[in-house]
Amino acid sequence: MAGLLAKERIIAGPGFNRWLVPPAALAIHLSIGMAYGFSVFWLPLSRAIGITQSAPDDWKISTLGVMYSLFFLFLGSSAAVFGRWVEREGPRKAGVVAAFCWGGGFFISALGVYLHQIWFLWIGSGVIGGCGLGLGYISPVSTLIKWFPDRRGMATGMAIMGFGGGAMIGSPLADILMRHYATPTSVGVWETFVTMGAIYLVAMLCGAFGYRVPTEGWRPAGWTPPVQKSAMITTRHVHVSRAWLTPQFWLLFTVLCMNVSAGIGVIGMASPMLQEVFGGKLIGVAGALKDLVGDQRAQVATIGAGFAALLSLFNIGGRIFWASMSDYLGRKPTYFVFFALGIVLYAFAPSAGTIGSVPLFAGIFCVIISMYGGGFATIPAYIADLFGTRFVGAIHGRILLAWSAAGILGPTLVNKLREYQLARGVPAAQAYNTTMYILAGLLVIGLFANLAVRPVAERFYMTEADLEAERRLAHEAGGASR
Amino acid sequence: MTTPGEPIERSSGSWLLVALAWILVGIPLAWGIYRTLQTAVKLF
Repeated sequence: MAGLLAKERIIAGPGFNRWLVPPAALAIHLSIGMAYGFSVFWLPLSRAIGITQSAPDDWKISTLGVMYSLFFLFLGSSAAVFGRWVEREGPRKAGVVAAFCWGGGFFISALGVYLHQIWFLWIGSGVIGGCGLGLGYISPVSTLIKWFPDRRGMATGMAIMGFGGGAMIGSPLADILMRHYATPTSVGVWETFVTMGAIYLVAMLCGAFGYRVPTEGWRPAGWTPPVQKSAMITTRHVHVSRAWLTPQFWLLFTVLCMNVSAGIGVIGMASPMLQEVFGGKLIGVAGALKDLVGDQRAQVATIGAGFAALLSLFNIGGRIFWASMSDYLGRKPTYFVFFALGIVLYAFAPSAGTIGSVPLFAGIFCVIISMYGGGFATIPAYIADLFGTRFVGAIHGRILLAWSAAGILGPTLVNKLREYQLARGVPAAQAYNTTMYILAGLLVIGLFANLAVRPVAERFYMTEADLEAERRLAHEAGGASR
Repeated sequence: MTTPGEPIERSSGSWLLVALAWILVGIPLAWGIYRTLQTAVKLF
């Protein structure tokens, strides 16, 4: 079995089509992307005992919500800790381990629901599943960049788009399954966990076994590296153990952390902000949200849900669009656009609310969210440009800790600021304005961090002897596979 | 095995497999986008 998973077994044979690798990566990212959609289980799980309504022993939604913190904590941590192992052992082994962690996490969670033990859910999906997220997320990055040296941004953008789109498939599927399995004595969640765990396990194993790696130095037919080399794209390599000693590592860490913190902050408040700012205007009646009656409030909430759905489409669209654009614009100019345009849009969004234009307000948020997704999708190519392709997956894994940090910073900042303003008597609709300006401030930090990025200093690059030693460690003397 | 440093891509016979692989991941993704669009149109 170990041989079947070994890196030397997956070196592409003659005639292998590199366009088979992105769908393999998508199969994994679409599966693990369901992490974003787990809230679909919260309501049924909050009445797992009471069935029709919550019983005293039922779990609180806040207790279940711990899962999100665990997901993103263990995603970042496992990507950072196991990144080098993934690089050394290859994408297939990493993909298979990710499949068993993510799929297996669902099975453990199913047992937890059946026995009504919350620890099983936290450890199953949160910890073990979270490790699957991290391994699955970084598993195709290095491989895709090596297969698409001419379109690094587009290649990683395709995979990371899948992570953004996973919940679009998983959430409605979970909803259908829970309705199917629901009985007078069960809300149907444990059965849904078993079914989805099996589906994800198979899909991710198919993806992992679809991975192939090219031999070192492989180039696409008809493509030659540009003669006019950019100083911001190296052809050499920085070892993962030295990358974090460079200022560039911490600058990219800051760039990602600020972009994601601001984006997460906006994602959480965009829909309620639309409802609070426009209130009755959304359904053609006068009055603020607090003045509306039951049915009117329900209509506004439906429009808010529509807005959230629209944003999720721009989130995944932005991933492929901006990452592909970065192949033409360059990585640093692309992030300059994210931050410079972002600052303007974040600062102008409250004015769009004051003007009373719903299309303008919605349009601003759509562009903002597209750049949030674009930031995730463009960072692997930025890392490859600066640090080389040899350890891009492992370095990406460590930089993903910025995501974990942002997952705490963004929501905490937004929630604390809002609570503080409401406590001081600021009207609910206006309380969002200051938050948007603070988030724009985070983007200013990101803008300067990006502007400070320069090529890595000569002393950090690996020597030919270092590279040879790494090739031996990574089993790169083996045979071919179709 | 692909040859190091050589600009080789002999892939003409594998496009059918590529199409199949993209269909397999494209169908669920398209379904998810369709479902999301159904919700998103409520904004307009």
